[in-house]
Amino acid sequence: MTSYSLPQFPDYKVTVSLFEDVSNAAELRSNVAEIPFALIDARLICSSEQLYSAIYRALVETTYNRMRTKSLHSECLLCLSPSSNIGEAFQTFGIRDDCQVVIGVQILGPKDPGSTQQIRDFVQGTEVECCDENIQKHYNEDTIRKYVNRLLWVIFDNAVFLLTYPCKMQVYKLNQKFRPETMEGLSRALVNAIQLRGL
Amino acid sequence: MVNLNTVRPKNGRDYYIALGLEGSANKLGVGVLKHPLLPQHEDGDLSFNCHAEILANVRDTYITPPGEGFLPRDTARHHKNWCIRLIKQALKEASIVNPSLDIDVICFTKGPGMGAPLHSVAIAARTCSLLWEVPLIGVNHCVGHIEMGREITKAVNPVVLYVSGGNTQVIAYSEKRYRIFGETLDIAIGNCLDRFARTLRIPNAPSPGYNIEQLAKRCANKETLLELPYTVKGMDLSMSGILAYIDSLAKDLFRGNKKNKTLFDPKTGEQKVTVEDLCYSLQENLFAMLVEITERAMAHVNSNQVLIVGGVGCNVRLQEMMQMMCEDRANGQVHATDERFCIDNGVMIAQAGLLQYRMGDVVKDLKETVVTQKFRTDEVYVAWRE
Amino acid sequence: MSQDIVKKISSCLGPNIPIESVAQGAEAVVFSTTVHPYHPNAGTDKKYIVKYRPPKRYRHPSIDQALTKRRTLGESRLLSKLYLIEGLNVPKLIACDPYNGCIWLEFLGQELPNGNGFSNLKNFLWMYASKGYNPHDNVVKETLHAVGQQIGLLHWNDYCHGDLTSSNIVLGKVKDGWKAYLIDFGLSSTSNLVEDKGVDLYVLERAIMSTHSSYADDYNAWLLEGFSQVYQSQGSKGETKLKEVLNRFNEVRLRGRKRSMIG
Repeated sequence: MTSYSLPQFPDYKVTVSLFEDVSNAAELRSNVAEIPFALIDARLICSSEQLYSAIYRALVETTYNRMRTKSLHSECLLCLSPSSNIGEAFQTFGIRDDCQVVIGVQILGPKDPGSTQQIRDFVQGTEVECCDENIQKHYNEDTIRKYVNRLLWVIFDNAVFLLTYPCKMQVYKLNQKFRPETMEGLSRALVNAIQLRGL
Repeated sequence: MVNLNTVRPKNGRDYYIALGLEGSANKLGVGVLKHPLLPQHEDGDLSFNCHAEILANVRDTYITPPGEGFLPRDTARHHKNWCIRLIKQALKEASIVNPSLDIDVICFTKGPGMGAPLHSVAIAARTCSLLWEVPLIGVNHCVGHIEMGREITKAVNPVVLYVSGGNTQVIAYSEKRYRIFGETLDIAIGNCLDRFARTLRIPNAPSPGYNIEQLAKRCANKETLLELPYTVKGMDLSMSGILAYIDSLAKDLFRGNKKNKTLFDPKTGEQKVTVEDLCYSLQENLFAMLVEITERAMAHVNSNQVLIVGGVGCNVRLQEMMQMMCEDRANGQVHATDERFCIDNGVMIAQAGLLQYRMGDVVKDLKETVVTQKFRTDEVYVAWRE
Repeated sequence: MSQDIVKKISSCLGPNIPIESVAQGAEAVVFSTTVHPYHPNAGTDKKYIVKYRPPKRYRHPSIDQALTKRRTLGESRLLSKLYLIEGLNVPKLIACDPYNGCIWLEFLGQELPNGNGFSNLKNFLWMYASKGYNPHDNVVKETLHAVGQQIGLLHWNDYCHGDLTSSNIVLGKVKDGWKAYLIDFGLSSTSNLVEDKGVDLYVLERAIMSTHSSYADDYNAWLLEGFSQVYQSQGSKGETKLKEVLNRFNEVRLRGRKRSMIG
């Protein structure tokens, strides 16, 4: 579990937890509306930076512009997504019935009462440290192909590429031949996409 | 070091007198200027402080009916008709009895400007020169504005924003030239305002830009602004797109084209925007662009002074915005002149011409007095500055 | 007045982000900080750049907000695209807050040895021109080649920097030399016009001549060598394009930065 505040938004308290061997994903998914956390399918996340970047973007949008969804937690899911379609964002990054690795994010604002509910009370699984090493263990191209019916596109100005790694990234309409050679390169491209989406 | 007294005044006088003739656009101006002969000018960069005394500054503007611009042919005719009368009037005001004894040099606008009007004034200048046996000097119009602005405001080394009907430039001095740092890529700001005034069919007197300024002041809803293109490109700017867009808005407004959602409420058909709003938005947008490129040039050459010259420089709102920009910079200062010197006049031609003359630059052959429509500010060798 | 800007940026960053002023231009102010905007485990030894576009009082608020947002975003987009070009070294974009006009970037460069200041090209060349160094050292030549290659790569991909000066090129120490980074893309754009590329090269040449005049000829020659290498490596198509750019560069040099205009 990682608890922190963003320096620019000290009034918000963020908690991020990564669970492996989750056994009750189906149950979680059906009750997702009642659970005061953002539950993310960890297999689609390639680095902690991608995750934190989306949380930052969600706070920037809610503070200075407007919230597009009902809560900060759903806003996080939207910010992870390359498209501005809320339903698609939930389907893609939200938890799935057979999901065994889950990331839970809790954001408490200044007006929210200090929550006594812990993510551990909901998710049945082994909690591990939410670090790049653990996240990347589960990041898997085959899973992405299998679960994301509509191929997941990162729309990034005139660059359209498939969010997969390693090195099978298909690049279309891109005059530069960009293929991230490393996980770091992919993570950078995703962070950039998150920071600039829909603006 | 610069010696401004290289050429001594005629007939052992202790002062110089210059006659300036200006007619590059629709204004015909005649000015008589006096510089005392000062010992400190022999050794120093003091061209901004000549203790100039204006003996006469007369002007006549060719004004067209609302909705019409001035054509070169008609403007030239106007200048020909008035030139002699204005020169006589100026000489009388300056109490010059014998021009061949009392005038050191005759200065005329060599360019840039409209060919026909420039030409008609040049003819008058040549005639006077031959008649009185007084040397001639061809002056760059923009340099005239800059030198007059410096003399009036005593700005030592300012970044110059030159905004008029035919020119939009940001200029700074460097190594014997007034270098252009930024300029318009298509039409000049004054031209843009004049043409919009024509679309609005508002009077051309005293000047179309002035009338737009008055309309803008009366804008009731200054909180909201019409969104216009903002076209600054590095240190340059472009205005033709803005004009085309706001022109089409104005035309839709007059026609009552209810389909235009910017102007009319799509449901009730109520008019949302007035002519005053259009003027206000246009001014705010154009001037913001001007101030921005000026600020860029200031940062580029590390200067903290701005001098606004040219006809549009009279606009109080532009001066106000420039003032705000300068207040936010360390020791920023704005210098602007009033309409006597901002608008084209003969004195400024006399000022720049006299500086040239004092450095020993005169026309040696009448061939050199051919006017030119294109004459860039940085083509002039600025001998009188360090 | 600078105090005013610091106050403004502090009010949107909050008290938890200590900032230190680095540079000020007409449009933006650059600060450095040790705080990562969102990563809780980024480490404490790293530094970041915050590029802030303060609101301008002279502009109508609605123009100001729209412009700040557009420019902040434009620069971020460009940076993120440039980052994808193989071999091109530009700062990483960390975050973009277009509503306040802030861009967060990675901090590049370091202090030069013997108190010669920050490692931009300007200080680097000054260091090598100073006593105890050889201005024609092979390291200088190789570094300028590397810089030229960066510019070549930028132009080959149809981007123009718009404000190339020796202080907008930052060097980072690598094993046996210096790696060149281009920074400050505030005036940059995509452009396939030879004119823009020629002006870019001319602006850099002028900057080198005015700040490093004693050895400017060698420096500029080395820069151009590096620049040409990129084009030449692209075969005959590259050769033709290189010729076009260099010809235009010579034209621009003859007439000065500005096009002569009609009317």
